[in-house]
Parts: sequence; C-alpha cells; structure tokens
Amino acid sequence: MSAEVVSRLVNLLSFAALGLTVLLIVRIRLEGQVRAFAWQSLILAALSMLIAVYSGSLELFGVGIALFAVKVVLIPRVLDRAVAKIGLSRVAAPYLATAPALLICALLVTVSFYVMAPVAESNPLPTADALPLAFAGVLVGFFIMVNRRRAVTQILGFLMLENGIFQLALLATYGVPFLVEMGVFLDVLVAVLIMEVFIYHIKDNFDSIDVGELGKLKE
Amino acid sequence: MILASLLLIPLAAAGLLALARGRKTMEMLHALASLGTLAAGAALAAQTSSGAPLAAGDLFRADSLSALMVVIVTFLGALAALYAIGYLRAEPDAARPATVRLFFALFHLFIFTMLVAVTTDNLGVMWVAVEGTTLATVFLVNLRRTRASLEAAYKYLILSSVGIALAFIGTSLLYYAGAKAGELAVQWSALHAAAGSLNPEVARLAFVFILVGYGTKAGLAPMHTWLPDAHSEAPAPISALMSGVLLNVGLYAMLRCKIIVDGAAGPEFTNRLLVGMGLLSLLVAAAFLVRQRNYKRMLAYSSVEHMGIVCLGLGFGGYGALFGALFHLVNHALSKSLLFILSGNILLQYHSAEIADVRGLLRAAPWTGALFLAGIVALIGLPPFAPFMSEFLIFRAGLERYPWAAAAALALLVVVFAGMLASVNRMLYGAPPAAIAPGDRLRMWLAPLAANFALLLVLGVSLPAPFEDALRRVLQILGA
Repeated sequence: MSAEVVSRLVNLLSFAALGLTVLLIVRIRLEGQVRAFAWQSLILAALSMLIAVYSGSLELFGVGIALFAVKVVLIPRVLDRAVAKIGLSRVAAPYLATAPALLICALLVTVSFYVMAPVAESNPLPTADALPLAFAGVLVGFFIMVNRRRAVTQILGFLMLENGIFQLALLATYGVPFLVEMGVFLDVLVAVLIMEVFIYHIKDNFDSIDVGELGKLKE
Repeated sequence: MILASLLLIPLAAAGLLALARGRKTMEMLHALASLGTLAAGAALAAQTSSGAPLAAGDLFRADSLSALMVVIVTFLGALAALYAIGYLRAEPDAARPATVRLFFALFHLFIFTMLVAVTTDNLGVMWVAVEGTTLATVFLVNLRRTRASLEAAYKYLILSSVGIALAFIGTSLLYYAGAKAGELAVQWSALHAAAGSLNPEVARLAFVFILVGYGTKAGLAPMHTWLPDAHSEAPAPISALMSGVLLNVGLYAMLRCKIIVDGAAGPEFTNRLLVGMGLLSLLVAAAFLVRQRNYKRMLAYSSVEHMGIVCLGLGFGGYGALFGALFHLVNHALSKSLLFILSGNILLQYHSAEIADVRGLLRAAPWTGALFLAGIVALIGLPPFAPFMSEFLIFRAGLERYPWAAAAALALLVVVFAGMLASVNRMLYGAPPAAIAPGDRLRMWLAPLAANFALLLVLGVSLPAPFEDALRRVLQILGA
C-alpha cells in the first residue's frame, strides 16, 4: 500500500469517526447513541488495523483487537443493559437545541484545525493530515458532555472524547506503547462500569437520570 | 526488591481485604499492611538518600523526587489508616460489614495507585495510575450513600476523568516530540535526557494539556469545582488523604512533565502559566473562604489555596522559591491531613458539618479543639509553624521576580487569613449545645497526630540537616 492510499483511507475513516460524534447531537434516542459509539469504535479498530498493516506493527494489531473487544463489544453491551434497565427516560435532553449545537460543533472543528496546525505540519507521517479531525472529535465529545443532561449521554460524550484522544495518538505516532494502551483500555472499562453503577444510584435516589437534578451541593 | 515490596504490600492487602471476613481480621490486616507500606517507604527513602535513583526494569525508577512523594504517601497513609479503624467503629454509616470491607480494600488500592504513579518511569503508566486513583476513590467518596455524597462522587468521577483525558493528549504529544527527536519512548528518564532536542512548539502545546489535565487532579482553579464536594463528602480519613496526599500526586505528575518541557522550551513559558494558575487558585479560594459555612468545605477550599501557593513557588523559579514550594508541599500535607482527621472527630461529636452548629469546641473536646486550633494557625501561615517559613521563602523570591503577582497573592493571603480565623473562632468558643455529649471522641486514635504537630513545629523553628539535604537533592532534579 502506498503512503498516498493510506493517507486517503485514514482521512476517510477519521472523517467518518468525527461524523459519528456529531451524530450523537442529532440522535435523540439513547439506544441510537450507543450504536453511534459502537460504530465509531469499529471504525477506530479498522483504522488501527490499517495502520498496523501499513507500518508492519504487530503491537498495533493487538491494540486493534483489544479495542474491538473493549469498545465495540463490551462497553456497548454494558450501556445497552443500563439503558434497558432505566426503562423510562430514553430521550436525551440537551440544554441547547440541535441547530445551535451543530453551529458550535462547526466552530469547534475550525478551532481544532487552528490548534493542531503546528503538530500536523511538522509531522512527516502519511496519517498526520487527519490530526485536526481527531482533535475535533475530542472537542465535540467534550461539548456533548457539557450540553447533555442525561447521565448516559454524558458517559457517551466522555467515551467519544476518549476515542478522539486514542485516534490522536494513533495518527500522530502510530499509538503509544502497547502496555500503556492496554492500561488505558482497562481504566476506561473500569470507569464505564463505575459510571453504570452510578446511573443506577442516581436513578434510585432521584428517580431520574437527569444530572441537572444534581444541584444540592452549592455554597 | 524494596520497590517491589513497596508496591506489592498495598496491592496484596487490597486483594486480601476484599476477601476477608470478620471485622477484627480486617482491622488487623489493614493496620499491618499500612505499617508494612510505611516501612517499605522509609527503606526506599533511605536507599535513595545517596542521590542515585533506584530502578527496577524499564518500568519503575525512584529518584529523590519520587522518594519525597513516597514518604508523604506512606507516612500520611499510615496515619490516616490507623485513625480510620477507630473512625469506622464510631461512624454509624459504616456499620455494615460490607461497607467496612469495601472501605479497607479500596483504601489500599488507593495507596497502591498513588505509589505506582510516583515510582514509575513510564509517563503512560503514570497516567494510568493517576486515573486509577480516581477510580479507587470514587466509591469511598460515596461511602455514606446520601444524595449529597452521590452527587459529589459522580461529579468527581466525570470531571477528573475528563481532566485527566486531556493530560493523556499532553503525554502523547511529549511521546510524539520524543519520537521526532529519535527517542521513541515514554520513559521519563529517556525524554529527560533528550529534552534539548525536542521540538519546543510541540512541547509547549503538550504542557498546556498536561497543566489542565493534571491540574484538575491537583485541584487548581478553574478546574477545582469537584474538589470541595468530594473532599467534604468523603469520610474523614479519606478526605485527609485526598487533600493532603492525592493533590500532591497530581502536582507531581505535572512537575515531571514540566522538567522535560523546560528542557525543550525553557522555563519561561511553563513558569508564567504556573504563576497565572496559582494566582487564580488563590483568588477563587479566597472568595469562597470569606464566609464559608461548612468546615469541611473550608478545609477543601484551603487546599485549593495551598496548591495555588505551591504553584506560585514553582512558577517563580530559582533556588529559594523552588525550595519553598517543595517545603510548602510537605507542610500543607502535614497540616491538612491533621485538620481533616480532626474534622472527622468534630463530625462524630456534633453530627453536622455546618460551622454554625459547632459551638464551644474547646470546652466540649479540649484535645480536638486545641489541635484543631494549632492546625489552623499553622495553615494560615503563622509562626512558629513550618508553613510560615515556606511561604516566607516563596514570597521573598516572588517579590524579586514577579513583584505584582507576589503582592497580589499576599493580599489574597490576608483575606484567607481573616476569613478562616473568623470561621474557626465561631467554632472554638462559647458554650457547647446541650445535646452534645462532652469529651474527646476516639482520643486514643488521635495520638499519632502528635507526629504531625511535632513535625510542623520542628520544621518551623529549625531546618534539620537530613530534611534540607533531601529537598536539595530534589532541587537538583528540578534543575535549580
């Protein structure tokens, strides 16, 4: 595979990954949002495999498999279970309506091209062109966490932000060392499991998973 | 060998405690493990006192900076561990054996993650461990299972995880800068050696992410918003460790990266950011300390303040200010753990964390009250206690290098001083409410706090040579 082809494929996949993050804003039903995350993780797994083949890195191949297991299979299953158990409130309630939220996303993508310029330009790898797209995913994920009130959507925002960071490292340096990558997957998995427990606690205590209800601790 | 036992004792203890049955067994195991960790920590400090780092494979490496942190973690860890035994016996919310088991097991997991963070040479593993500290403590914050503690724990989990995710971008960028310079490693020692050849622009960008990310864990404003909630809702021994120790671990992670970035791009950039962040933290803390109504939140905001002061010292730069910053980090750890443990005693006696509900503390509980007063006097920077000396060192250097920032910070310190003293005065004097049973709670379990008090006093009036040498060796790593 030539560098040219790889570069184009990487751009395409990165664009699709960012698109799925933005889809989280448009999608209202929580099940659909979990699907969006699973698809995005699948794209990232494909991206790791592609770069693994191109660079001949066996470690990266392993990272792709682990990513598939944790983020395409395990975490969506955990979240589906949580959504099913909560039952009632399946509709994600944003603070900002869809149209202004999309406008902010566009702004964030622009900012990301500006911030990542020094890294993208100085980077000789064929994957570097897509760096701003990955960073935009981080920013949009962060925005989703702030904008959405449902605990599940907040967790999805966090996961997509985390996906963006994984992608960033993947594109900039073909990923960080294997051991570190595994440690990060473990942390994310444990974090999601803890968050799941918290969803149930919040549901039991407040009879909703609207994190806007959490406003007792004030000065 | 020492490194291995230092890490394995708390890890094994966490595993064993998760399986243990019977309160007596758990308490015994918990106490033994804490003392064992303390002994291993002391042995590590003794081993590194020659100045040569102690390494175990590629993964672990403990130099003098690590040793300083290990001593803080293990010493205050043991102190809080001993008090925790008594506290859990007296705390009605911890009556269930399952709660006690969860507490003890997570306690040692928490200590383990902090020790990994400060002894690993791998910046990626350090990141994983720092995130691990959040995951280990989140259920401890929610131990009481009230709405307030649930909210605090959820906020803590989400905000810390997002913050630390940003630190991972910074870590990746440092790795990238290293890869470009031909040094394909996330080893701190390798990046440190190659720092001169890293791309300064990428290094600066990395530091911005690192500062925001680990700054969240260190409780620096404006990312501090989770801190007063989590620190005030956690049970007292955990508050003591989160405020006195965990914040320092966040600061340590930032400092490690700063050393590399300074080697690549010069200290000017990172120093300015730190001074700005320190000043902002002081400002926010002062604003919330003026009329604080909850004494645990008061202590939590005071941690934001003191982390700000340490940042100012690190940012001012130069031998005097850096020495003061490290010294202050130790002093804050000693005084804040003392105060948070005492806050547990006050809570057990008055059943309220509101300052307005606590009256006549000196009469109702003379030992608790007197130690609390001494701790506050130390914390607000009055002689003869050690924080006075460290703040003096920091601001003497600051007034030379950044006169406006230092002057503004001093003005804010006066505000904090007045605010905290007024709050504490209301607690100490007067007649205790009739419903309060007089007498110190858990008097025997308070005895170890004498060590904090003695150290704060001794370090305040003299600078023992071994302590000064230890800080001097750390300063060499910081390049001063």
